[in-house]
Amino acid sequence: MAKAVSTDPSLRESLRVQIRILGALLVREVLTRYGRHNIGFLWLFVEPMMFTLGVTALWTATKSVHGSNLPIVAFALTGYSSVLLWRNMPGRCIGALWSNLSLMYHRNIRVLDIYIARLILEFGGATISFATLSVLFICVGLLEPPENVLEVAGGWLIIAWFGAALAITLGALSHESELVDKLWHPASYLIFPLSGSAFLVDALPKVAQQYVLYIPMVHGTEIVREGYFGSKVHAHYDLGYVLPFCLVLTFVALVTTRWVASRVVPE
Amino acid sequence: MIRLDHVRKVYRTRFGDNVVLDGVSFDLHMGERLGVLGRNGAGKSTMVRLISGAERPTAGRIERSMSVSWPLAFGGAFQPMLTGVDNVRFISRIYDQDFARNLAFVEDFSELGAYLKEPVRTYSSGMRARLAFAISMIIEFDCFLIDEIGAVGDARFHDRCNHELFGKRGDRAMVLISHDAGYVRDHCNRFALLHKGKLTLYDDFDIAYDAFREQIGLVARPMVDHATATNRGALIEVSQHRAHQDDRFRMLVQEGDWQRDARAWTEAERRYAEALTLYPYQRSYWVQHAHVAKENGHFARAEASYRTACALGEPLGDVYEHLAFVMRRQDVEPDAWPVRPYHKGPVHDQVPGRPDIGALARLLWQDGVLDDGEMVERLRRDTSCDAVMAAMLHDPRFADAHRSWLEAARTRGMAQDAAAEPRDGEVTADAHDVEWARAVCAMALPDLSPAENQALVDRITGDPDAWATLLAANGFAGWPLAQAALQQLLSPDAEP
Repeated sequence: MAKAVSTDPSLRESLRVQIRILGALLVREVLTRYGRHNIGFLWLFVEPMMFTLGVTALWTATKSVHGSNLPIVAFALTGYSSVLLWRNMPGRCIGALWSNLSLMYHRNIRVLDIYIARLILEFGGATISFATLSVLFICVGLLEPPENVLEVAGGWLIIAWFGAALAITLGALSHESELVDKLWHPASYLIFPLSGSAFLVDALPKVAQQYVLYIPMVHGTEIVREGYFGSKVHAHYDLGYVLPFCLVLTFVALVTTRWVASRVVPE
Repeated sequence: MIRLDHVRKVYRTRFGDNVVLDGVSFDLHMGERLGVLGRNGAGKSTMVRLISGAERPTAGRIERSMSVSWPLAFGGAFQPMLTGVDNVRFISRIYDQDFARNLAFVEDFSELGAYLKEPVRTYSSGMRARLAFAISMIIEFDCFLIDEIGAVGDARFHDRCNHELFGKRGDRAMVLISHDAGYVRDHCNRFALLHKGKLTLYDDFDIAYDAFREQIGLVARPMVDHATATNRGALIEVSQHRAHQDDRFRMLVQEGDWQRDARAWTEAERRYAEALTLYPYQRSYWVQHAHVAKENGHFARAEASYRTACALGEPLGDVYEHLAFVMRRQDVEPDAWPVRPYHKGPVHDQVPGRPDIGALARLLWQDGVLDDGEMVERLRRDTSCDAVMAAMLHDPRFADAHRSWLEAARTRGMAQDAAAEPRDGEVTADAHDVEWARAVCAMALPDLSPAENQALVDRITGDPDAWATLLAANGFAGWPLAQAALQQLLSPDAEP
């Protein structure tokens, strides 16, 4: 039986409810997105894997110029996986509230929960895809094992943090204006070549380096590459820039979500 | 307890702010069942959403010290891509409930069987309603919000819902909104009327209902869109639905139903008749009208109404038994006067009903009231609108009413311009006059464009020379029997 509303729940109690809600939303999300047919929820990471494999193959075939002596496979894997991470998160959060408006009738579910559930899923998919492909390439001998796994993880998490904060902000704004959806698609394609996935900052002219480092995901990608290839590359990044950037963006995301939550009208 | 304190809700729209709730305050305690009455669009559902917490008020406070349900029987609470079982699982997780026990209850109550394992999007609306209600019952809320629960499902399902809600959970608090004021009356112990953003509370249903009734009467006639229906066939088709969107029609037939249930036949007949003056082509209430007239012993009147219902499209099989009964009670063998069902085609060929004969009588005899015997006589004999009109033209009352027109027409022809001299002053016309004008135009000139139709309706509303005006506009042109009757009346050897 449902308990009467407790007016002052303990932190522990709240946390328990929060985890339960996110768990339920995750299962629901996986079932609605992937269903129970064919490989089901394996699509979660098979889909990004196919993307990365395809791009890797393309770049290998065209012998893309990337301004370093790194093997092209290694370059494509680290670069394109990072793109998938920050690009798919906003893609999933934009319009997420519209398709889940009916959930607002359940008072334990908040607008932010809907976004977080989708972000966890997206993060999980991209991470599993990245890890699986890494292991695969390493086993086949196309890739050396990363020199510093922890640094790779750190860079990866920074990209994820940025992606999540951006996703929540755009997701919330998209509920108020469909312009966000329209603009995000071209924007994400235009930022892609600038995001550090298709080049090493070190290979750019000095003037360009200065400007390209204003783009936050460049820092994360550079860290990932430094963790992977260590001494073979000279990475350019500044934690003193990217971390405060993400912090401020997170704040913006939470404020926007709160604003949207106060205006949401369920069907 | 739930407490609303000066709750205000404003929606921003392109054409300015829409104030839906303007300072609504009340307390609701355990065991209190509040029934909310109000017109369409008064903000009842918005209020329920605010209480549920799904939406936030623009200003004011809503305090809840008990658990509150989502609006019951609300199908939107599911994910249509998921199966029924998955939906039960999701709700169980959200509310931290035992899934196995819940599933057992839903299986038992919804009677969906194997369909529970199919995606909800494949369900019919009735199946969705059953699942929605069953899922709503698995969480034991302190306060249930019920928004239009009576809209779907069959009678047995309603009984079981009512038993679950008002029987087993009669001790809870409830907020109930329904178009069916009778449902509110039967299940609530507090009442409220929501009008123009303000909520007025009542302890007594009759007082609340009287206020509601007065309010509906006070408001001007709702905008009924006649633009798409300029001919009789189209009017019949749209009337079935439009009538039920009109609060006044709904209220009148509801009161009729109550009087009928109380076996107050005369009162019931009066209410149905009033409702049918608003929407003369609403067939199902002609049947109701006939039923109460039959119970009241007015067999000829009942027969006329049954025949009208059939002429407007009511399936003959549904009423034949009753019709045969009232005919036998008039010592008439039912087979002597077969019933003609609705058929499409040109207006003059369509089967006439009471409203058509009434409208024609007013046009041709300047007297729209026929006694039951005469009405039923016309309906039995005349197979088409054309035949009715011809018969009514041959009736001496036509010549009496239109003597001067007849004389003028004999010399100058029919298409004389009657409205050459402008009418002076404002014409006094009420809503009934407008309705009559519409009905007549829909028969006489069914092929006009909406704008032309409106112009003609405006012209003949309250016009004593409506007949001449219509003929001058070439009305009833394709009606062979009526035209023949007119020629005969106008021929030189006809009696002056």
